[in-house]
Amino acid sequence: MITAKDIYLSYDKTRFIIKKGSLHIREKEFIFIGGNSGSGKSTLIKSLYGDIGLKHGELFVDGHKMKSISASNLRKLRRDIGIIFQDYKLINEWTIEENIMLPLKINGYSSDISRKQALNLLSHVKLSHRKGYKPNELSGGEQQRVAVARALAHNPKIIIADEPTGNLDDYSAEVVWNLLKGANEQLGITVVVVTHRVPKNFGIKFRQLSIEDGIIYEVS
Amino acid sequence: MKSLKSILSFVIPLTAMLITFAIFLFTTKVLEDYKLKIANDYSIVVVSALPLIKDNLNEFAGIKVKNIVTLEKNKIISNMKNKLSNKSITLLKQRLPYFYKMHLEKYPTTSQLKQIKEEIENINTVKKVEIFSKNHNQIYLLLLIIQKIIAIVFVVILLYAVIIISKQIKIWFYEHHEKITIMRFHGASILYSASTVIRHAVFGALLSFLIVALLMILLNENLSLIFPLELQSVVDIKLAINSELLKIFLLSLFISLSTIFGVLFKYKLKND
Repeated sequence: MITAKDIYLSYDKTRFIIKKGSLHIREKEFIFIGGNSGSGKSTLIKSLYGDIGLKHGELFVDGHKMKSISASNLRKLRRDIGIIFQDYKLINEWTIEENIMLPLKINGYSSDISRKQALNLLSHVKLSHRKGYKPNELSGGEQQRVAVARALAHNPKIIIADEPTGNLDDYSAEVVWNLLKGANEQLGITVVVVTHRVPKNFGIKFRQLSIEDGIIYEVS
Repeated sequence: MKSLKSILSFVIPLTAMLITFAIFLFTTKVLEDYKLKIANDYSIVVVSALPLIKDNLNEFAGIKVKNIVTLEKNKIISNMKNKLSNKSITLLKQRLPYFYKMHLEKYPTTSQLKQIKEEIENINTVKKVEIFSKNHNQIYLLLLIIQKIIAIVFVVILLYAVIIISKQIKIWFYEHHEKITIMRFHGASILYSASTVIRHAVFGALLSFLIVALLMILLNENLSLIFPLELQSVVDIKLAINSELLKIFLLSLFISLSTIFGVLFKYKLKND
């Protein structure tokens, strides 16, 4: 599903954040990527959805060669990915229901189907009673639950999450982990999560990678 | 309040440009109508020793020849029939040169008429050229100057408007940057992501068009109130209001959309 071979990533020409990084993630795997702050975890996952270009090496995501991916193929790839950002990245002028409908509409679903799916997901993240609220009317934990619901809405092949529970209270964090576990176990979605701390007693099979000084290590 | 201010920043320059364009259309129509009114107030009569080959006479002084009418000799002679004997009439018929009346496609100015006379006189067989005209030159030239000045003003305002509205569109892109980025992360095309900005521009274009259309209809209905009595004979025109409004509508939409797609293209190059 995702294969990286000797990749180098950087934001400028002087300093590589990821150096000679290699990894292989199979379909339906649950992957944690750990490491200290500034180690390059976020940079690595940004490269998976084409937000940062590759300097050297080879990276394949769902069969797409990221170094030479065309704009239209990148759009196609992104439609098969659900992304959960640390800062949620919800559209503040829309209701949370409309936010969840976004990937469905982009994938060509009708408004009726998108609305039904959004309401279904809102009940899963226990926010049905707030469907008409705007994101900035919700707490951080609630916003992150909306972001998870949005990432799951269109049943993507891969979910990429950047510190999804970093700013959350225990209850919201548990809801988020349960949703991601369910997506992986029940729907067979490949999940790649960047996190400082892997939750204890996670309950499903996962693999853990770590990044130190720009180099990717297999932990377990 | 903020969104009203932002839409006005788009609408005002576009409306100014459309008003100038409407004035340009109006003066063009005034000029065309004036030309039609005075079109028959000149006459070019050519006297030739041999019959003229009309197909060879297409253009004089840069003005196309509309038609050349042969003046019947019998008609000319009939005026003198009573004074001459039959023998003299027959002789006269044989000796009389060929007379033609020439019409041009456009109303010629005095200097053009002079040039036309010279050019026709250069034809070997032509014996004489007579031009009869009333002098409309000053009003015609004045209208022509006004039309040209308005055309220049229109181009200047068009450039100014494009610069101002492209700046406003850039501001809209900046305001919606976060939203556009989120949509693009989810695989939306740039057109889909920027649909809010495109909607703003189309709304602005329609609003500008409505303002100018209203002004134009009012102007068309109240020409006699706007212009003094002395000018009535010159500006007494009937605008083909539907086609003029269509031109203004298309221009409004074209300028708005081409500017937004220009900015969009630049945005895409910068952010891809």
